[in-house]
Amino acid sequence: MSSLFIAGHEFHSRLFTGTGKYASSDTMMDSLSASESELVTLSLRRMDLKNQTDNILQPLLQQGIKLLPNTSGARTAKEAVFAAELAREALETNWVKLEIHPDPRYLMPDGMETLLAAEELIKKGFVVMPYVHADPVLCKRLEEVGCQCVMPLGSPIGSNMGLASRPFLEIIIEQSRVPVIVDAGIGAPSDAALAMEIGADAVLVNTAMAVAKQPAQMGKAFRLAVEAGRMAYESGLGEKRVQANATSPLTDFIGALS
Amino acid sequence: MKIMLNDTVHEFVGETLEDLLTQLGKTEQGIAIAINQQVVPKSLWRSTELNEQSQVFIFESIAGG
Repeated sequence: MSSLFIAGHEFHSRLFTGTGKYASSDTMMDSLSASESELVTLSLRRMDLKNQTDNILQPLLQQGIKLLPNTSGARTAKEAVFAAELAREALETNWVKLEIHPDPRYLMPDGMETLLAAEELIKKGFVVMPYVHADPVLCKRLEEVGCQCVMPLGSPIGSNMGLASRPFLEIIIEQSRVPVIVDAGIGAPSDAALAMEIGADAVLVNTAMAVAKQPAQMGKAFRLAVEAGRMAYESGLGEKRVQANATSPLTDFIGALS
Repeated sequence: MKIMLNDTVHEFVGETLEDLLTQLGKTEQGIAIAINQQVVPKSLWRSTELNEQSQVFIFESIAGG
């Protein structure tokens, strides 16, 4: 399986993971280790001054996993730029997963604000990884303004509905000159394998691993699925067709009995 | 001195942002600070002095997708 390069950084794994929804940081680390993910997302929030937060940062840093802060919670481009600048200070990285979703009910990404924020963040020296709807036109615009990849959704965040956006993902993958990372909605390893088979460069998984009864085993399942899907893509899948096409040579021996 | 910290009044004994973190018992790791809507780089925490007009927001990294 070939390596994936984003902004000059080499990834041996094409499975990226989120850190939300795990029952504990130990469970999270077990799952991430089994997944062999080399990049994880984190969020930022106002510090809880009364309660100590579970420290997930230290074990991630000890494992050498690359951190990708997101701008979750931002409702506008202005808020997202502010969140990205805070994240750059907090986690000492100029990489950012740009997320702008003004409506908490469906968490649909706002494409217009995302494009505005991406342009500004790129001017400020960020490596911008925008989370967007599976919109081929928008993905191309984001590529043109200098995003290092695009992250179209498979289906709504946390929905486990898989690649509901498949026809549009295929157009994005066909057109894109930057890596395409399918994000959101991937609910099963088979969804991840399918994303890789159709040519996605990577997938980002969180809920499906975090809420599994056995998160570590599910992490391994996703690793294997992503590897299988990518290997199949690189091997070259056969075309689908309606008519039968024999895999054994057709001989006349049955005909000879009549 | 009273400052506004994360939208609540906070009694602060000290001078700088670094003093505030010490008072709160927080380390630098995974933390970002903004004063009056401006992000303050970590390199300036030691020299950034607070006053009663300071609106301080401290952010921390948490789990997320």
